[in-house]
Amino acid sequence: MSNVMLEVRELTTKYVTRFGEDIYAVDHVSLKVEEGKTLGIAGESGCGKSTLALSLMGYYFAPLHYTSGEIIIDGRNISGMNPNDVRKSILGKEIAYIPQAAMNALNPTRKIIHFIEDVIKEHELYITKKDIYDRARKLFETLGLSADVLQKYPVELSGGMKQRTVIAISVLLLPKVLIADEPSSALDVTSQKMVIKMLRKLMETGLISSLIFITHELPLLYNVADDIMVMYAGQIVEHGNAKQTVFDPIHPYAKGLMGSIIVPEKGLRDVKLTAIPGVPPNLKNPPSGCRFAERCKYVQPECKTHSINLNEVDGGRAYRCIFSEEKLREAYQNG
Amino acid sequence: MKGYQEYFLRKLGWFLITFVFAFLLNFILPRMMPGDPVAVITQRVTQGMTSQTGVAKIYQEYSELFGTNKPMLEQFFLYVKNVSQGNFGISFSQYPRPVAEIIKSSIWWTVCLQFPAIIVGWLIGNTLGALAAYLKGGFDKVIMPVSIFVSNFPAFGMAIIMVVIFATTLKWFPISGGYGFDQIPNMSWTFVWSVIVHYQLPFWSIVLISIGGQAIGMRSMSIYELNADYVKYSRFLGINDRKIVGYVFRNAMLPQVTGLALSIGTMVGGALVAEIIFSYPGLGNTILKAVVGQDYPLISGVTLIITLMVLSANFIIEIIYGIIDPRIKATQAD
Repeated sequence: MSNVMLEVRELTTKYVTRFGEDIYAVDHVSLKVEEGKTLGIAGESGCGKSTLALSLMGYYFAPLHYTSGEIIIDGRNISGMNPNDVRKSILGKEIAYIPQAAMNALNPTRKIIHFIEDVIKEHELYITKKDIYDRARKLFETLGLSADVLQKYPVELSGGMKQRTVIAISVLLLPKVLIADEPSSALDVTSQKMVIKMLRKLMETGLISSLIFITHELPLLYNVADDIMVMYAGQIVEHGNAKQTVFDPIHPYAKGLMGSIIVPEKGLRDVKLTAIPGVPPNLKNPPSGCRFAERCKYVQPECKTHSINLNEVDGGRAYRCIFSEEKLREAYQNG
Repeated sequence: MKGYQEYFLRKLGWFLITFVFAFLLNFILPRMMPGDPVAVITQRVTQGMTSQTGVAKIYQEYSELFGTNKPMLEQFFLYVKNVSQGNFGISFSQYPRPVAEIIKSSIWWTVCLQFPAIIVGWLIGNTLGALAAYLKGGFDKVIMPVSIFVSNFPAFGMAIIMVVIFATTLKWFPISGGYGFDQIPNMSWTFVWSVIVHYQLPFWSIVLISIGGQAIGMRSMSIYELNADYVKYSRFLGINDRKIVGYVFRNAMLPQVTGLALSIGTMVGGALVAEIIFSYPGLGNTILKAVVGQDYPLISGVTLIITLMVLSANFIIEIIYGIIDPRIKATQAD
């Protein structure tokens, strides 16, 4: 068994609205990422994927607040740490983040190299500008980016270029865990491919030790991830390795989600894509029982009253449903 | 630096084109005003004269002196030639003072009043707006309504309120003028002190008005920038808050620089009114007298100077803008 790079235990975070209401967007989430592995997180929009990404950083600012749980990075528990220490010694160095809208992630009035100087100086006090430049140039060249980019303003870069620049900046300090929040959305297919290639390269060259990849594009996730977690309404509803989760899901929500993939094959015209009716619940007052109950085909009266735990099954899989695995499979057989 | 050179030349080109049009309008518009100003002067000089031929002779002499008897096109070229030599002609209403001398004696009053007032108002307004956005809470709740209230005052309204409170009621400052009516401009301490005291009310009336608008603009820009994606990203890379606030305010400032150019533009409109109300011996008052006296050499002269000032201010600010915002250069260079 290899080293666990990131372990999260029962992490709960909440948003506090202007009116003082609490919204628990991440609810008792536990996960583990091993060295060299990629964890994919899937789910439809509004189910807490991005909030989970922000929560994993261990550095909170309004309106997001930490409630409970632990984040352990390479054996070091960062949950109880002073925010300023987290900022100086964890962010960027241990755990780094690639934002969803990388297009606007760079300060428009700062040259890339100056921004890189700001980042590195925050973590290493005694470093000269020349050393920073050399290091940045080397990294950019390793990642197949021209060193000319360093002397440019973000506005002078194309969308795909900006995204790759952001990825390069995120890994400047060789973080152990990299969290990529939909890094390829809003890009054309060619740029998407380049981004994915680059993420793979990061792992191969050892610039990062593990990756958490968040997306709603399931085919992409299947290609990139080793393990997949499916989120619904702030909770994990299914967890397993990529192949099993995509081709043989257990939870009805995961089943529905995977059923909405288009597979280009013969007879595609006659295949009707199944959509899950309804929308995720409002997390201001989440349902007391199973959160998916309202939209579930197989709902039972007790689903709405009992809170449901995550059931562990063989092969490191887990799912959150009142039914047993066999019963669910039987139900799927019968349509 | 090639992109910037191109940007500079383009802006310079527009500056010159605008100036030529402004110059043309300046010449034509006063001449389209109804009434015959030469007749007015003649009437003034010949009061009590009975000889019709005498009056006609004097009228003719004045026409010759002012050049009004020549065709319009010839007048125009004569005007261009004279202006290029710093000669704006002779004032009708304050005959025989040359226009250049009248402008010279009043322009410094205006420049020394307006520029500092606009700059101070801009600085205070932007600082308050940025603080309101950053501190939020109670500070914001006080600054916002006050700013909206104050910025909606017309310039003359603010001037009159200031006069009523500080001059008439409290008697802290004099009601009007640039210096005491019993003084003769010189470099003595009494005169300088008198100028300073007279300076306060017009100065603050302009400052107060510009604070409000600038604060509102800066506040909303800062709030927008504070929520920008790059702020979140920078935070997650561990950059400290003070530096991020620096990024935010620098970016929020950019549209405010345009605001500064615009308020220098309003110098001609709104703020000149304050000068008139305080009978401040600046260009505002001069132009009022010129209009009342149908003194078109003076009107042309003053408006030309003001046009030149506003255009130059805008030009300088656009040049600075190109330096501080890389996006402007990038889009303009295409």
